[in-house]
Amino acid sequence: MTSPAVGSEIRSAPREMTRERMRWYVDAQPTVAHDDGRIHTQEPTIHDDDGYAKSQGLPGIIADGMISTNWIMGLLMETFGDDFIHKGRLRTKYIAPIYENQVVISCARVTAVEQAGDVTVYRLEVWCEDDTAKKLTVGEAVAYAKA
Amino acid sequence: MRENEDVAVGGYTSDLEPGDVLGPVEYTLSPFVVREYCHAVELHNDVFQHTKGGMMPPTLIHLDKLRLYRHACPKGTGPHARIHYEYDATFHAPVPVGERLSVGGRVAERFVKRGRTHVVIDMELRAVSDNRLLISYRDTVLISYTGTEGKAA
Repeated sequence: MTSPAVGSEIRSAPREMTRERMRWYVDAQPTVAHDDGRIHTQEPTIHDDDGYAKSQGLPGIIADGMISTNWIMGLLMETFGDDFIHKGRLRTKYIAPIYENQVVISCARVTAVEQAGDVTVYRLEVWCEDDTAKKLTVGEAVAYAKA
Repeated sequence: MRENEDVAVGGYTSDLEPGDVLGPVEYTLSPFVVREYCHAVELHNDVFQHTKGGMMPPTLIHLDKLRLYRHACPKGTGPHARIHYEYDATFHAPVPVGERLSVGGRVAERFVKRGRTHVVIDMELRAVSDNRLLISYRDTVLISYTGTEGKAA
């Protein structure tokens, strides 16, 4: 675990939001629901079917927002370790669609560090941006780190 | 399926109104679910992927909302695609694989902003054994998304 100071910015490596990455999340939903050890699929969605996405007013498939939320959470776990999922907070808002093959970079900036007994509380601004620095997902997080 | 089957608000998710109660639904968190979900979102951390023990990623509560939808809204989504707009979760305690869990929700708000209908649901995930609050979650969706301008996910 690292101990970033106020103002520190943490950034992931760029990832392309490929069609496969979108579909993995689509397939995970019924697979988790069935919970029988086998892969399951579902009806066409705006995340995996171009025709259905266009019927809903989109130019093509877009990523499920929870993919970027999970990528941000992964960045926070790389920074704060497993403690982050033991106690913490994460809020993400999807302010722009993420299209097929768009580059996504997960980012976090420490906005405050507070001491509460033997626990250090980190407050962070979090976001995902593309390779032009356009923000796609924005939010905030709180991480608790024991000394 | 490892859920009880005693709840039904009926209708479509697009029909949900403030005050509607979803669940509670009980289930046991399986290692398969954790590993499969984390594999899909490329969380390859040992805490999720190893074969013994393991913890629930707090993001997985979003699929608990779909679990509640299946029970409360058996007719499905409704006429338009549902677009997730905001995830807001507080993690109160770790959720280990094998734990018997209870998830419930309540529709907190429904409002129209810039021509789009927003529905906000507050959810709680608790341990069945002692009713401890493990994760609280506020989920916001758009249920009348019809174009590419502005928010969408």
